[in-house]
Amino acid sequence: MRGFNILLQKEFKEAWRSWKFLWIPLVFALLGMSDPLTNYYMMDILNAVGNVPEGFEMLVPELMPVDLLQASIGQFQTIGLLVMMATFVGIISKERANGMATLFYVRPISFGAYFMSKFIVMSTVSFVSIFAGFAASVYYTSILYGTLDLGALLVSFCTYYVWLLFVIAVTLMMSASFKTVIATTCGFTVIFLGQIVDMIVGMFWTISPWKLPSYGILLARGTMEMLDYWWSVIITVVLTLIFINIGIMMMKRNASSTKI
Amino acid sequence: MTTLLQVTGLTKQFAEHKVVDDVHFILEDKTSTALIGPNGAGKTTTLSMLTGLLKPTAGSVRILDGDLRANIGFLPQYPQFHPWLSALEFTEMAARLNGVIAKKAKVEARKTLEFVGLGDAQHKKIATFSGGMKQRLGISQAIVHKPKLLLLDEPVSALDPVGRREVLDLLKGLQQDTTILYSTHILNDAEEMTDQLLFLQNGKLVEQGTLREVRQRFDEQKFVVEFGSEEEAKLFASPSDRVVGCYVYIEILNEEPTMKKLLHRLSVCTYTIRKVERQTASLEEIFMKVAKKA
Repeated sequence: MRGFNILLQKEFKEAWRSWKFLWIPLVFALLGMSDPLTNYYMMDILNAVGNVPEGFEMLVPELMPVDLLQASIGQFQTIGLLVMMATFVGIISKERANGMATLFYVRPISFGAYFMSKFIVMSTVSFVSIFAGFAASVYYTSILYGTLDLGALLVSFCTYYVWLLFVIAVTLMMSASFKTVIATTCGFTVIFLGQIVDMIVGMFWTISPWKLPSYGILLARGTMEMLDYWWSVIITVVLTLIFINIGIMMMKRNASSTKI
Repeated sequence: MTTLLQVTGLTKQFAEHKVVDDVHFILEDKTSTALIGPNGAGKTTTLSMLTGLLKPTAGSVRILDGDLRANIGFLPQYPQFHPWLSALEFTEMAARLNGVIAKKAKVEARKTLEFVGLGDAQHKKIATFSGGMKQRLGISQAIVHKPKLLLLDEPVSALDPVGRREVLDLLKGLQQDTTILYSTHILNDAEEMTDQLLFLQNGKLVEQGTLREVRQRFDEQKFVVEFGSEEEAKLFASPSDRVVGCYVYIEILNEEPTMKKLLHRLSVCTYTIRKVERQTASLEEIFMKVAKKA
């Protein structure tokens, strides 16, 4: 892991100076607060907008705090992941395409160190982001609906983070393997198409990384089959590790395609 | 002299096309070598194989003490930097990645930036740099760890005359204790600082040697005398000489006798003589000849 510390510093500096540590958490915070607020004020919003037909009555379901957390995670799963992946999918491929990588690849660094420095920065940004997202969601939920159990919250947070690490590994592996455009397509396919497939035909299996975000919620609700949960976590972690290794391999293999 | 780098049978093939074809050469320690050739001759491909970025299809690159990547400094033709970093941060990082310890890296980075003339701009973000400043920064990142071998791809081609002059002087300052291999298609630059010339054309090494050797091989063996008028030139010329305007070109068969005879003839004639010189081919003329021959 030669040069790891130095490369890590560089990646952090870059993420910091390009405001990634600010604006991505902000996006997540906005996403997190949107569901508790819109759900709570739905009737007021409808009345204010008008056009509600006379005699129209809406059944507003009685929402539990954990339902709102679930809704927020749903937001992270679509817009949040989109922002995160789109921001980072070029982190290796773009450096190659514009030639910035050249001055690093000709030095005696290890590709493992370079890949991991990027992985760690991206996972730190993600951590801060979902922390902001969860905090915003839980804050408004607790004001408007009631408090969540801290243990349940922690468990769903950690579970969601494990899923995010998987997403990061996929994103970086694609970035190391392909040009930015193809990497984006492949990364999005794996993550989003995977979610859709898992939604449509996912009832036939219970163990999969794509189920992890919803498992976090089930865990918070206390209705989770623990065996499925642990197997899903294990398989996600194993896949993450495999993808990291493939990513490092591909980064090394594609080193010669850097623009000189 | 010790051999620093030995290149044997270096070949790179992309699909059917051989971009570099069986290139052999040796770089002696602390010499400067110019890699010359027209665009698309394979100069950049050769250099990137020397850096280890590109794997050769065949052949080998061997450096005196083993690890290639640890012993080189490389300046690409268009160096690209992370715009968020300052010049000092980048140079310091470059040094540290090459194994210079943290404390020393900062000192060395400062010294190097001072040397390349970026002392005042060391804390500025690279995003604000001009082309010439980036080129200097490129040089500083290539030399900050004091590599044994410096590989430069077209180091001055993109610069204006002033910048070119300054960078050339910089490189001359490095010549004493570094082995330098640089590619260029600007022959005046090569003429200025080079011990060895490598002519590359269509991937093949078509000519190599010291500037003097190559010159001797390609020089036109001629004296040129410029007269005051065309008539005088015609009257002076013997049948074997060529006359172009006021100039008379005299073939040298045997250096000393020819010269003495010529000087004698000139001293007794009554014509106006403007100039007498031994014609030496410029590198450009040699270049054209080599290109035609290959």
